[in-house]
Order: sequence, then C-alpha cells, then structure tokens
Amino acid sequence: MSIGIGGAGSKLASLLDHGNATIVNVSEIELSKVEASNKILAVTHSSRGQFKGSGRNPEVGKTAFVSISDELYSLVKGNTVFSSTGGGTGNGISSIILKKIAEADSVHLLDRTMFGLLLPYVNRESSEFVENTIQFLLDPVSSAIDSGNTGNMVLFSNKLKFEARIAEADYNHMMIRSLQNFLDIPYKGESLQLLDGHIDHEDFNVYKSKPYFNHFTQFFYDTNRPFGDQLRENFNQLLLPPERSIEAMFLLEVPHIEQAPMLYNILDYFAEDDVTPAYGVVHNPNIEQPTVTVSLLYSRKPRELVDDFKQMADKLTRKKIKKSIEQFVKLEATPFDIQSEVKQMTTPPPVQEGEAPIPPPEVEKVAATEGNDVFSVLKRLRKLK
Amino acid sequence: MEKLFEQQVKRLQEHHFLILYWAALAEDKGLRYNITNAFDDLKFQGVTRTKQTAVAYIEALDVLNFIELKDESNRKNIYITEYGAEALAMLVSHKNFKTRKSGYLEVSR
Repeated sequence: MSIGIGGAGSKLASLLDHGNATIVNVSEIELSKVEASNKILAVTHSSRGQFKGSGRNPEVGKTAFVSISDELYSLVKGNTVFSSTGGGTGNGISSIILKKIAEADSVHLLDRTMFGLLLPYVNRESSEFVENTIQFLLDPVSSAIDSGNTGNMVLFSNKLKFEARIAEADYNHMMIRSLQNFLDIPYKGESLQLLDGHIDHEDFNVYKSKPYFNHFTQFFYDTNRPFGDQLRENFNQLLLPPERSIEAMFLLEVPHIEQAPMLYNILDYFAEDDVTPAYGVVHNPNIEQPTVTVSLLYSRKPRELVDDFKQMADKLTRKKIKKSIEQFVKLEATPFDIQSEVKQMTTPPPVQEGEAPIPPPEVEKVAATEGNDVFSVLKRLRKLK
Repeated sequence: MEKLFEQQVKRLQEHHFLILYWAALAEDKGLRYNITNAFDDLKFQGVTRTKQTAVAYIEALDVLNFIELKDESNRKNIYITEYGAEALAMLVSHKNFKTRKSGYLEVSR
C-alpha cells in the first residue's frame, strides 16, 4: 500500500495504487481532489482553517502530525510513502515520520518504509520550496539514513518537467510508470519463463528495505556496446542522477532464449565496480529488443545533496540580488531643518536698490491646545476674572 | 457659596472637563461648538457611544451654569460661562485631567 502526504505526495500515491491509497492532508479541499480509499485529515490549529492547506509552511504540517501521529506511524510500516520535500504538509509531516523512524531502536526489515520524495527544480520553483527542501534533507532525511531504519529513498526531481514543459498530470504518470517498472521486477520473474538468476518477492522486499537512495531505470540493451555507456546514457531523467552504486539489481528481459548470456556483460560491468548485483533473466516474447531494468543503490550523504541544492539556490539568489541592485534607485538625502525653514519663510528677501520691500507673510494665529494654555484662552475670552 | 462651587467642581468628571475645554477652544477660534460636535468628539475619544449620554453630560453642565446652551440656526451651541471658565481653570490647575484633541476643531483649524 502507498501513502501520500500533502498535495503532491497524494497524487503520486493515488496513481500507484489506482485510488486505493491512503492520503493525508491538512486541507479538506485538497483531500477531496484526489481519489483514495482512505483519507486522513490532519488537524491544524492554524487560523487559516482546515480548507487552505499549510501554505508552504512545514510548521503547520508538523503541528498537524500530532493529531494523526499514532494512526499514520503504524500505517507507514512496511509501505511506501510519497511526499514532496518543498511543500508545507508533505515536508512537515514526513519530517516527523523520518525522525520517529530514526529514533526507533531498530526496525524490522519488512517494517521499513520506502520513501518517494519529490524534490523541486531550483531554477523554476519558489525559494520557499528550495529552502524547505534544504532543511528537510539536512535534518530528517540525514538522520533517518544514518539510523539505517528506513527503506530505499527515491529522489524524484521536477527538473525534466520544467525543462521539457510537461503537464503535471502527465509528469506524475511518467514518474509512477517508471517506479512501476522497478516494482514489477519480482512479478515478471514470477509470470515469465525464468532463464537465469532469480529475484523473488522476498529478495525484492529485502532490497527495498535497505537504507540507501535508489536510482532505477529501464532501457533497450544493445550487446554491441559497453553496458556502462548505455547505463549512463539512460539514467532516469525523472530521478536525481546516482552516485557510485553500493548494491544493484537488474532484470534482463530477452525476446529470444538464446540471448540470455547477455547477462554476463552486465555482471562484468558491476564486477569492475566491486558490486555483485541481484539479477534475473526472463524470456519475454512480447518485446522486440532485449530490455534491462536496473536499480542502483547509492549512499550519497544528504549533506552533499544539500550542498548541491545550496549551490544552485545561492546562484539564483546572486542573480536576484544583481537584478535588484540594477533596479535600485538611489535617493539623495534632503537635509531638512524646520527652524531654518521657518526662519527663511518669515525673513524678507534682501531688498534691491530701488525696489519696494516685500512685507513678511502673515503668520496664522495658532490656538492654544495645551492644558496650561487654557488660562490664556479663558482670559482672552474674558471669562476668567 | 465658594465651598459649594468647589464641591461641584470636584464632582466633575473627565467628559465634563473635555466639553468645557473644547467649548472654550472653539469660542477662542471663533467657531460654534454644538451638541452634535461634542457627541462626535466624545465618541471619537471612546468616552461614549450614545448621543443620549453625551446630551446628559452637557445638560449637567448646563444645570450647574457652567455652560450656556443657545439655540442658533436650529443648532444648540455650547458657550462656556464665567463659572464654567473658573471650573475649567480649577481643573487645569489641579491637573485632574489631561486635554484631548477634538476632531471637530482639528478639521476646522
């Protein structure tokens, strides 16, 4: 089962589970927009009400978590959680889940949670999203990874969406299709004729429960070219690029049984990097070309990820500052001394020879307003003896 | 008699003081200060929200002969009397109350 937290996370979970997901939000309106079998409304104490969401403020999500803490924490065990890292609800609630996971003594392999995290694209999305993401990666993600209590973390990126101008709904489908390709590995091993190796559901679940970042991709495999080159060319554009892999898994589907030995080229590639992947080779007569689905587990520390984000955010901030400096209009300070101004107004200008002097302007009689001047007012009115 | 006057002045409250003060200022500026102006100013200062209360304050000052109400152009204008002036002077010298601004006199400045 998948659980979607916040607006973006809910949409992804709903797509993956075809409407049978559990979704969580602080806004009733947001909950009503997404199809799901289980909808959990987290209670906020925000004066903005239960209808408006958390407005990119993770604190709202964190406060709201208290109301659903027990229910949600038991739900995420052994399941997949989707959340954005920039929004208020997803970031806020997921942060606390990750912290709770990190603080747990140990979490059983099958109880570990796989996270699908959607990261913003720095060049196009708001600075609040980026700032929230930096905080999210720096603290909750980092401590959860270090604790070893989480399952795989999949770092989806919005980069391609903005660069290729893809509609959000289509992009969500692309991300879920891509994830589904990875999740289908044990099912294909089960339903298609097995030619070599084997990845059953147990192997797959153990793999998913490892506390690393997971980069998966699928591409047509050409035996005439080095596997490594093809892998690099076909890194999943929907995910952040991977680092050197620590563990790996692949499923090779071949249209003809005699193509099965192609797998040795792939094993050679991983062996050069001291990785012994879990693998399976199946006969799939429905495809025309050999297709490989690869997953790489890497442990790039969130600190480095944060540095990347910070660098990009700093670059953008510098551009903004440059622009604001260009638009800055310097206003000259005008010294203004009221006494000298009054003096100037009441002093007649120097009289030129042969010119009649200009009389000074009449100064308006100012009525007394202070308590002590009441006497003079009353005397002027001749009402006080 | 003087003792009675002192007793009367002692019983005056801030709203009475303000009405006397604003009436004196208005007269000094050559303006006419009527019951409606006094009510508006008292309301603006947060003293009262009803006109009946404002009228009650003014009538009390009238009964004590501290002000004189004159019907002029369909308006009841307030003029401070000599007794009212003495009462105001006494309140000022004893520093019982602080002056406050009249919206009417500010606008008509």
